[in-house]
Amino acid sequence: MPPEPVVADDEFRQQALRHIDALYNLALYLTRNGSEAEDLVQETYARALRFSHRFEPGTYMRAWMFQILRNTFLTFYRLREREPALSEAGVPDGEAPMFHHAPAEDGESAGAHMDLERALGRIPEEFRTPLLLAEVEGLSLEEVARIMDCPVGTVKSRIFRAKERLRALLKDYGGQD
Amino acid sequence: MTNEIGGNEPDDITRLLRERLPRHQAPAGLRVSVVEALDPPKGRRRPSLWLAPALSALATAMVMLLWLAPALPRSTPDQMERLSRAVMSEYARAVFAGEVSPETLPAALPRVMRDSGVLLSWVFTGDADIRLVNAQPAYLEGRPGLALTYQDRAGHSISYIVAHGPNVAIPERERVQIARWRPAVRTEEGLSLIVWKQSGLVCVMVSDLVSADDLGRFKEYFVKVRSATEVSPSY
Repeated sequence: MPPEPVVADDEFRQQALRHIDALYNLALYLTRNGSEAEDLVQETYARALRFSHRFEPGTYMRAWMFQILRNTFLTFYRLREREPALSEAGVPDGEAPMFHHAPAEDGESAGAHMDLERALGRIPEEFRTPLLLAEVEGLSLEEVARIMDCPVGTVKSRIFRAKERLRALLKDYGGQD
Repeated sequence: MTNEIGGNEPDDITRLLRERLPRHQAPAGLRVSVVEALDPPKGRRRPSLWLAPALSALATAMVMLLWLAPALPRSTPDQMERLSRAVMSEYARAVFAGEVSPETLPAALPRVMRDSGVLLSWVFTGDADIRLVNAQPAYLEGRPGLALTYQDRAGHSISYIVAHGPNVAIPERERVQIARWRPAVRTEEGLSLIVWKQSGLVCVMVSDLVSADDLGRFKEYFVKVRSATEVSPSY
C-alpha cells in the first residue's frame, strides 16, 4: 500500500494557509455559526492535507480548497439545511427560517431589522454559495461551476435568482436604500 | 432583467455585497490549529526512535491502572446517576407543564435566558420533524439552567436541558459516536438521555424514545439540536 502523505510540503502548506480567511468567511456564511465554521475549516484543511497528492501544482488552489469546503459542508452539515428551493417567481410564500437568532431583548422583532448578513442567510445554500464565490470572492463562473459541480449556465441562473431573492428580502425589510 | 451576470458594470446587489457584507477573518485559535495540523512537530515524522519506549511506558501505565482501578474513587457513575435523576425530574416537570404556544416563545426566551444565566446565541426552532413548543427555567442539582421542549410529529416530548455545570465527567464507556459528536447515551426508567458538555455547560437531551427505532430518531433530533444551537454561560 503506498504511504499516504501526511505532511504537506512547504509550498502546499504556504499556499493553503493563504486562503484561511476566505475559507472561514465562506464557512461562516454557510453554517451561520462560529464554532461550526471553525470545525468546517479545520475539517477542510484536514481533507486537503489528506488529498494533497491529488492537487495539481499550477492549478488554482483557492478554488480547490473552496470545493473541499463545500463538499465537506454538504457531507456533514447539510442535515440541518432543509431550506425550500426558490420558486421561479421569486420568494416563496410563508417561508420561515429554520434557524432563528435568539432575540436579545423582550418582544423585539429581529426580522424587522434584518441586515444583509441575515438576508443572505435566508437564501438556500445552492444559491448563496455561487453568489458569494462569484461576487464576493471574485471567482470566475467556470471556477464556481467546477466547485458547484454544475454547468456554467446553471451558475449564472442561480446567481441571478439569488440576487433577485436578496433584493426582495432587503426591500421587504427596508435594509436597502 | 435588472443585472447581467458577467457584465462589466456591477449591479446593486454586487456593489452591496462587496461594500457592506462583512468579511470575517479566521480567529487566531483556528489559525493556530490549522498551522499545527499542516505542520506537525518534526519529531512526528520519525517516530521510530521514541515509539518503542513510549509504548513500553504506556503499557506499564495501563497495567498499573488496572491494578489500582479497584482502589480508585468511583465518582463518575454516581455523578451521572445524580444528573440523570435530576434530568428525569425536569423532564417530567416539562411534560406536565403542558404545551406553550410557539408564538409566545420569542418573548419568553430572553426572560428564560436571563433567569437561567444560560445564553443561547442560536436556537433550533424546529423543522418538519420536531418543533419547539416551550422554554422554561430548569434546575439540575440546584444549579440554574433552562429547558427547551420540543415535540415530534408522533407527539413525543423531547427536552433539551442546559445548566451550569454540576461537575460531571462523561464516562468514556457510555460515549457513542453520533455524526461528529461523541456524547454519552443512556436509557433509564423508560427514558433515553443524551449527555454532553458544551462551553462549560452540561447539556442533556431526554425523551421517551427508547426502542431501537425510536432511539435512532432521537439521535437524529440530537444532531439537529446540537448542530444548530450555540450555548454559552452569560455570567
